[in-house]
Amino acid sequence: MMVSLKDIVPAAQNNINTQFILLDKGRTAMEGGQNKTCLALVADEKAAVHLQLWGDECDAFEAGDIIRLTNGIFSSTRSQLVLRAGKRGKIEKVGEFTMTFVETPNLSEIRWVPDPNNSNKYVQEAVISTHSRLFPPMP
Amino acid sequence: MVVSKLVKITSHEAENQLELSLRQAFEVLEPKLRPPFSLTIPNPQEYSQLNRAILYGVLSQPHLAKTHIKHLHAIVTDGYALFLSLLVNVVNELYSKLFDSAKNQLLWVTKEMIAVLGVGFDSLLVCLLRQIVGGDFSDWNLWLCFEMVNIFLDKWDCLLEEEPLVLTSALYSFLRLLADHCRLSSPDKLDSLKTMEIEFCVKMLREQFHLCLKVGRDLIRLLQDLAYVPKFRAIWKDLVLNPSEFSTARFCDISQLYRSRTSSRYFLLRITPEMETQLRFVLTHVKFGGQKRYQVWFAKKFLLLPERETLIVDIVRFICCAHHPSNEIIQSDIIPRWAVIGWLLKSCRKNYVEANVKLALFYDWLFFDERVDNIMNIEPAMLLMVCSIPRYIDMTHTLLEFLFLLVENYDVDHNDIIVKGVSSAFTILVQKGVVHSMNILTCCAALSPFLKDKLHRLLSGSNLGVSKESQTTHLRPCAISLSFPDISCLGTPTPSPER
Repeated sequence: MMVSLKDIVPAAQNNINTQFILLDKGRTAMEGGQNKTCLALVADEKAAVHLQLWGDECDAFEAGDIIRLTNGIFSSTRSQLVLRAGKRGKIEKVGEFTMTFVETPNLSEIRWVPDPNNSNKYVQEAVISTHSRLFPPMP
Repeated sequence: MVVSKLVKITSHEAENQLELSLRQAFEVLEPKLRPPFSLTIPNPQEYSQLNRAILYGVLSQPHLAKTHIKHLHAIVTDGYALFLSLLVNVVNELYSKLFDSAKNQLLWVTKEMIAVLGVGFDSLLVCLLRQIVGGDFSDWNLWLCFEMVNIFLDKWDCLLEEEPLVLTSALYSFLRLLADHCRLSSPDKLDSLKTMEIEFCVKMLREQFHLCLKVGRDLIRLLQDLAYVPKFRAIWKDLVLNPSEFSTARFCDISQLYRSRTSSRYFLLRITPEMETQLRFVLTHVKFGGQKRYQVWFAKKFLLLPERETLIVDIVRFICCAHHPSNEIIQSDIIPRWAVIGWLLKSCRKNYVEANVKLALFYDWLFFDERVDNIMNIEPAMLLMVCSIPRYIDMTHTLLEFLFLLVENYDVDHNDIIVKGVSSAFTILVQKGVVHSMNILTCCAALSPFLKDKLHRLLSGSNLGVSKESQTTHLRPCAISLSFPDISCLGTPTPSPER
């Protein structure tokens, strides 16, 4: 089932199917000296989030690409809360340009805490920043 | 993963549904695609699949293409209508991704379809014309120009007989492309292509002028960009001085062209389907204020190379004349057309391009006639002038100055028409409520008194019909050398070898 970005919640599960447009891409870095990695800002009509690209994904996408994520995961890696395909997921380009988006809220800029009623779930505690601090909106 | 023999798919790119449907049909039917062909008559479903399979075969197997096409000839029952509609979809959706060999095959099969006069071959030619990108001097783009002009020259008699309007479309495209091709300073690799493009356009203008008339006033706009090319200069001379040269009884004066509005389908010819999709998306979905990223993406994709800048002229013509938003959109918070045009105008780096963009923006003003013209074509220029007053008065000044420059100099022999056109344009924009009153300009404190004065004079003339001043201009003997629409004063085109 396809979900909207605003409905994703941090979890250790590879079960997020969603579609978004890539707004901006950071510099590619080497992680652990072996794998390329890079962060990107992606968004749909209701929310934005940071996406982590791995290996050849880093060069395969650029700003303006509409991307479909299958079996993705939204979780913390190296203290950053990011959406990614992970080993079991897949991301592919399905189009270009023709998708509207918002840059706030950004789900990576929200502090999440375990749900007091259900410790397996996370809920939003506070907004750290309305917009991405890594990729500020264009003036 | 199955590899396509038709389109280049990069890693992490989803399959294209059209390509997939053709490939799957081909894979299923491949054993039946070689002789001896089945003699049984396919049912509609099988017929459709067979068409898809044969198309995939033709495009991906050059060595077997002749066999595939024979097969098609044997089974066809719909005048090739389905096959051609599939080809049109391939061109519109996949052209830029096709392998080089598939592009070659596409042009080959296009000629086959003309030879059998397949139903809709003219639409296929129009779609292919749209794939020629203005201001793109890459080898494959020039190859497509060459192939297309070759088709129009080679199949001239047949096209004239069967689908003469496709020749008119080709004329519009090649006149526009020639303006780019003649401007390039290193013309070696372009020489033979330019010769053929000129040959085709001159043949159209000299032999089939009644077809050229169908383009309407934008024919003049395009020709004026080529007036420095000797062969077109001669045509200009005749247009102005000897209209009877043009074997068309109907034509006696250039003003006939001025009075005929150009159909929007011509503007689409110089915009690729991809550009059209993106521009229409911005103008129907993107909120005013949220357009910045889209502008950056669009510019990066289509306008980045310096030679591409002339494309802005075509885009502005497209936005004014071929994209007319609904009232619902006009009243919404979606970015208006004038704002997109303001951005495009600001993106111009060369003076002559900027002048041509402004001319494109005001072109329908010059000859505006309520009976044939559409207020939506002139609305963006008015709103751009008015809405720029608070923060970008320079834009208002530049545009108004340019408009008066056109009124006074564009074609002094037809100054009466132009004065009337521009004042009618202002009048109807007020009448229909695009602006509430002309006071917004005539009483604008920030606007230069000089321009306000000119505006007053123009508008007072409009109430009296044709002003005295313009009558005298009209009656002036035109023996003075050669006078035709001249915008050379507004920006100098780059020198060309032919100059």
